Amino acid sequence: WRSLRAKFLCQCVCVSLHLDRRGTCKGTHLVYACVGYCESSAFPSRYSVLVASNFTHNITSASQCCTISREAKVKVRLDCPQGRHHDEIEILTAKACRCDMCRKSRY
Amino acid sequence: VSMTTTLQSFRGCAVRDFSFVAFKPGCRGLHITTEACWGRCHTWERPILEPPFIHRHHRVCTYSRIRHMTARLPGCQPNVSALYHYPMALHCHCSICSTQDTECETF
Repeated sequence: WRSLRAKFLCQCVCVSLHLDRRGTCKGTHLVYACVGYCESSAFPSRYSVLVASNFTHNITSASQCCTISREAKVKVRLDCPQGRHHDEIEILTAKACRCDMCRKSRY
Repeated sequence: VSMTTTLQSFRGCAVRDFSFVAFKPGCRGLHITTEACWGRCHTWERPILEPPFIHRHHRVCTYSRIRHMTARLPGCQPNVSALYHYPMALHCHCSICSTQDTECETF
């Protein structure tokens, strides 16, 4: 199963990020996110896993998720009310994506 | 997964044949073919303004409906139960990996 990884399915896509600082200065900026399909599987656990988990983990999940592997900071100017001043903030944007460890996928 | 489906481009989560050797100390191993889960789930990471600055949507292909199976291992010592329990997948879906009943791993 592992030979069927398809990392090309996880890629950078452009998304719109709505910026709102303290409800006053606002803006919209295009950034890159990582979106895609990565391989995962679930199957009966080995006996060693059963013993280590006191026979509670009878399923093993081996998985990867689409993640940001390289990122950059970009400065964005926000437009403030009545045009009196401009606020500048830094936001992240993805520079590269890859199928890697799933993080926020457990409870 | 249908035989006509191209695995290299398959997206989603499906029941798939899985073979393993059931083994525990004091018995000989038994080759078992069952149903498990395999696929590619839609996952993404995108920048956000507030900490932790990355919003993650990570899901894995795992069991949604299970039939509990029991096999009888050969050659067990007199003081060792020959029964070996394992899950068989009836249906699979993309979901969070539950550490209550699952060993969540990456590869």
